[in-house]
Amino acid sequence: MIGWLDVPRNWLDSFGEIVRFGAQVAGQVYSGRVFKFFGESLRQAGILIFGSALIIWAFVFIIGLQCGLQGAYFNRSVGAPSLAGLFSAYCGLREALPYAFGYILSAKVGTGIVAEIGAMRISDEIDALEVMGIQPVTFLAATRLLGAWIAIPFLYLVGIGIVYLAAYLAVVKQVGDVSSGGYLLIFWMYQSPPDVVFSLIKGMVMATAIVLVGCYYGYTASGGPVGVGTATAQSMVVNIILVHIIGMLGTIVFWGSNPRAPIGG
Amino acid sequence: MASLLEEQMVGTAVNRAFSPAKSLFEVVGEMMLLTARTIVSAIKPPYPYGEEFIGQFLFALQLCWFPLLVSTVAFGFGAPGLQAANFLSLFGALDRLGGFFVLASIREFAPFVTAVVVAGVAGTAITADLGARKIREELDALQVLGVDPIKNLVVPRFLALMIVTSLLDIFAIVFGLTAGIAAELLYHQSLGGFFATLFSNATVTDIWASVLMCTMFGAIIAIVCSYKGMSASGGAAGVGRAVNQAVVIALVAVFFFQFVVTSILLATNPDLQAIR
Repeated sequence: MIGWLDVPRNWLDSFGEIVRFGAQVAGQVYSGRVFKFFGESLRQAGILIFGSALIIWAFVFIIGLQCGLQGAYFNRSVGAPSLAGLFSAYCGLREALPYAFGYILSAKVGTGIVAEIGAMRISDEIDALEVMGIQPVTFLAATRLLGAWIAIPFLYLVGIGIVYLAAYLAVVKQVGDVSSGGYLLIFWMYQSPPDVVFSLIKGMVMATAIVLVGCYYGYTASGGPVGVGTATAQSMVVNIILVHIIGMLGTIVFWGSNPRAPIGG
Repeated sequence: MASLLEEQMVGTAVNRAFSPAKSLFEVVGEMMLLTARTIVSAIKPPYPYGEEFIGQFLFALQLCWFPLLVSTVAFGFGAPGLQAANFLSLFGALDRLGGFFVLASIREFAPFVTAVVVAGVAGTAITADLGARKIREELDALQVLGVDPIKNLVVPRFLALMIVTSLLDIFAIVFGLTAGIAAELLYHQSLGGFFATLFSNATVTDIWASVLMCTMFGAIIAIVCSYKGMSASGGAAGVGRAVNQAVVIALVAVFFFQFVVTSILLATNPDLQAIR
């Protein structure tokens, strides 16, 4: 049985170690040492695309539908149903998509990495790598980070398109208060290319944090098959908190002092 | 001879093409069966699961309260708080933020952040726990001893998660509104307008729909996570992989369910749409 304060205490405990481990892994990527295993990085990027892309896109599609639905009914309730595009532009691009991306990435990719590397750790494969003279942090963690950096921007950009499509379907086809042209006019007016870049930065910071947390928990797993399961569950706790904090900080930094709306002075 | 071979090849190709869909249907069907069995054995006497129920209830509450606090405050302050307050301040209508928070917090993000936290924190713990017992063959041992694992392990988790999720939803609403108040204070607004529009726009339907939806989320998460834990296999990586699949399936199922429920709720309750 655990106590009431165990979760925050454990989280603070492991946070420092995660930061240290993450800095080590990022250092391996920046110093170029990871390019010794560039093939493995490409393989990890491929696994990410073929294994996770469909589920990520399906998830962000559902989120886009939610955004459109709430936006359509909210704008009807304030008596401006033709402005539904405003809500879905703000909700979809700026907030809901980064969060949805963070959730499904930590569920599918983060826990997947923990399960994979954790299994290697407890069957002593990581020690074997070290004996063979291969740096396990570089070979296992840094290649995954580089693979994620290669693949995830494209997954994210396609995800933006899918959220737009889903919001369009929900507002125009499902609720149907506004015509297609009226919706799209407002929708495109209330966003600009910098918004896309800011949203992408938010998503990439989340993805980096999730991959590093996954690698840390997999790398330090112990205690047999049961230990791998526990480590996987713990990584999810840390990931959820990190995703929300990064999302909030991103909003404060990018849109906090400037709503970036085409109205007002 | 050649035609027979060809027929076999076509057969395997068809099998391979449809096997993901087939296994998906099988898994969904088995989860439905587990749901039915859980509900039946929850109702049918005897009721040996009281102690385990209390243990699981406290366990889920202790695990979830801190991630929920951080998540809802961060989400509420960032997404509906700052973005909407920024936008409303252009019109000088910041007192409308309270009315917006009815939609944002009660109807939309309190249920789904609660679901994400419960699935990611309590659900993964349940899968890891049951998966560990399955791998150690404790579940088989229980069955040999004549103890029904569904009645003694799944039913208490199912009931506990249903109640915990709906309770945490109330907390999520409170924390979310706190974050909204913080955003309002950041813009040096008095809180009278916030509370006035909040209470005039909130309806009882909103609240009970939110809580009831969360109860169903808890049921979905408990069934998916228990099923994946009890069917874990494959040695060292097995439990980890079970946790991975459980949380993905639970999230997708919960969000799809929420979309369907919100669609029906908003379309059938026109009184929710009137601005006051």
